[in-house]
Amino acid sequence: MKVNILRQQSPFSEPYWESFIYDGPEDNTVAGLLDYINYNDDIVNTDGEKTGRIAWECSCLQSVCGSCAMVINGRPSLACETFLRDLKGDEISIRPLSKFPVISDLVVDRASIFESLKASNAYIEEFVSEERGDHELQYASAKCLKCGLCLEVCPNYRKGRKFFGATFANDCYLIYLRSNVMSKDIRKEYVSHFGNACSKSLSCMDVCPAGIPLLSEIAAMNRSKR
Amino acid sequence: MREILVIGSGIAGMTAAIMCAEQGMHVTLVSPFPSERSQSVMAAGGINAVLKNNDQGDSVESHIEDTINGGCGIAGRDSVEGLCRGAEDIIGILEKCGAVFTRTPGGKIATRNFGGQSHKRTCYCGTSTGKQIVTALVMETRRFESQGLIERKLWHDFHSALIKDGVCYGALLYDEASRSLEPIYADAVIVATGGQNAIFGKTTGSTQCDGYTAGRLFMQGAELKNLEFIQYHPTTIETPQKRMLVSEAARGEGGRLFYINDGERIYFMEDKYGSRGNLMTRDVVSREIYEAGSQVYLDVSFLDSKLIDERLPEIKDICSKYIGLDISKEPVPVSPSVHFFMGGLAVHDDHQTNIRNLYAVGECASKYHGANRLGGNSLLAAIYSGATAAEAINKAETGEEIIRPDLKDYIDAEVSALEKSMASMSSFPVMYVRDMLAENMNRDLGIVRDEESLDQGIKEIDYYLSICDQIKYDSSVLPYFNYSLKGILVLARAVMTSAKERRESRGAHYRSDFPNADDNQAYSSIISYDDGKYNVRLDKENAYES
Repeated sequence: MKVNILRQQSPFSEPYWESFIYDGPEDNTVAGLLDYINYNDDIVNTDGEKTGRIAWECSCLQSVCGSCAMVINGRPSLACETFLRDLKGDEISIRPLSKFPVISDLVVDRASIFESLKASNAYIEEFVSEERGDHELQYASAKCLKCGLCLEVCPNYRKGRKFFGATFANDCYLIYLRSNVMSKDIRKEYVSHFGNACSKSLSCMDVCPAGIPLLSEIAAMNRSKR
Repeated sequence: MREILVIGSGIAGMTAAIMCAEQGMHVTLVSPFPSERSQSVMAAGGINAVLKNNDQGDSVESHIEDTINGGCGIAGRDSVEGLCRGAEDIIGILEKCGAVFTRTPGGKIATRNFGGQSHKRTCYCGTSTGKQIVTALVMETRRFESQGLIERKLWHDFHSALIKDGVCYGALLYDEASRSLEPIYADAVIVATGGQNAIFGKTTGSTQCDGYTAGRLFMQGAELKNLEFIQYHPTTIETPQKRMLVSEAARGEGGRLFYINDGERIYFMEDKYGSRGNLMTRDVVSREIYEAGSQVYLDVSFLDSKLIDERLPEIKDICSKYIGLDISKEPVPVSPSVHFFMGGLAVHDDHQTNIRNLYAVGECASKYHGANRLGGNSLLAAIYSGATAAEAINKAETGEEIIRPDLKDYIDAEVSALEKSMASMSSFPVMYVRDMLAENMNRDLGIVRDEESLDQGIKEIDYYLSICDQIKYDSSVLPYFNYSLKGILVLARAVMTSAKERRESRGAHYRSDFPNADDNQAYSSIISYDDGKYNVRLDKENAYES
């Protein structure tokens, strides 16, 4: 199987494609594939040249930490839960998320996700002691990995713009329902940085590895008037 | 304003940072990646706490006894009492920060059974308790970030502590962005860097937890404790990329373990230990699975499928996704795998190490769990230890100005050593050594050990240590992987040495050549490092446990 990877040595260098042949187990995931290429033998590209290890980020390897988010065959995905058997064709293309600056190869800096939450004072401060709203939806909301796949696929999200995207809307929902003092402010932030600009393509829901029903959260936020 | 440096931003690190900031201290919170990538998000099952409104007849005293008995009598009673008595308040704090706990239809926080516990006291958030707590603590951390009291530093790795004459003054960090070493001075340093996973390669936990910080601090004079006690979790599944955990929640909800003999299911845990056999402590269950000698299965398929969907959805999802198995229809093939390290940096009850102003919290510290940890006590200990360290640091405020010694020579020497190493380029040696180390550790330090396997393990690690300073810089990985190799090897050597020196069987440490517990060894082990020498002693004077 031929694997084409968009590589980049450093934040300041030019990206380039490099190809490899994968001859490892067929029941592997893309994470397993990257490990196999990196550690099974000397790394040689399809031109027969020795090359450096492929940089990529991983931590849990079981789709709960969001580290290994990348674009696989054009689809934003987690490498650790993308099985080779589910990919079509004889070739695989892997590239880093394009909405974030590249650090090295497939490693990107997703600081913008956290900067927008910090800039909006996205925290609870004073908790609502009584249960309010849909418990299951709040549970789902707190499972957001902050992996950035939803932002990669979003037609509205561009770094540096006012629209903060689905990760932001998701946290706004949780804070809105669980905070006594921040609800009003966070709703304003939500309207300003999400509600007014989301074109509802809902592609974010298609790629969310945590299966968060964002539409339900958006509906709850849009209905709210506090 | 007092300056606190917290290294590691999982649950323990964030808790320490939040609690210090609440007391008006300024905290620098350092980690290579955001908290969402930490191992804490993987904690599935729950957090133990005896709640006042429990209707099971439970008591804090029972929680204390279960924890001490589960740890085979060597955990300090005072610290365990503090842990268990503080548990209910911790649940309240977490909920106030936004953790979404599962509730009963009557609105109370729900609890489930976990191994080695006399009562149903494990509070949980579905089967993603760790993730829900991380989400809540990240938001609370952000609150203090917005006040300027917590400052996060991402893309930074620990290099070494700034220590002089037994006092810690800060740490040297490697900045991946500027690709250089940077000293950060602080009035106190709290390390919260997790377990020692990498010495075993891929475990059930995060690949980010490698034990380097503990190894390096050990080389700098910090003592380590109880390293021989390594928890093998009994129920993990084989997947193409690692062994994955099937949470104890599956057995807590009624799951049964069996193997097949002559076509008949043998429920070996129930046969030997009675109706609660499947919920014996993890050390016991893992050893029984090992001794069963054939494939063991975990069965929840007889449970109501609605209960599985409601209470075990993440377990169902993992098995379906990674091994194509529906737990509501068929049993899961399981076997034990390295999961948790009861050993780590030796800390006093206030979580200070033997180095003044250097604290350790969470899994990198050895406390509370003795020779075997109970499920549901790790999240509790992570939060409690973070809070305890913060409180101790607050109380230690004397108002006196700290006179910082000149550490320039040390810093210059480390900068120069790293630059020199980076100038000697080569390919691949570092990661190969790490892979070989993991292979040796898994072979020589399994569920059952003996003197011969441990001697062999020590010999192999000594060989890697003998070449470690000579091998060239591996330019195909981050500098961190290069400079961390020696600390990881030294830690592995300390683990192996501690296992050799405990010539008895206790908790997670089972010696086939010394199969019984020995009352004369019913103490924690302490290991110290002196220029290549590893000195082990039993803590009979209770230097760390009381």
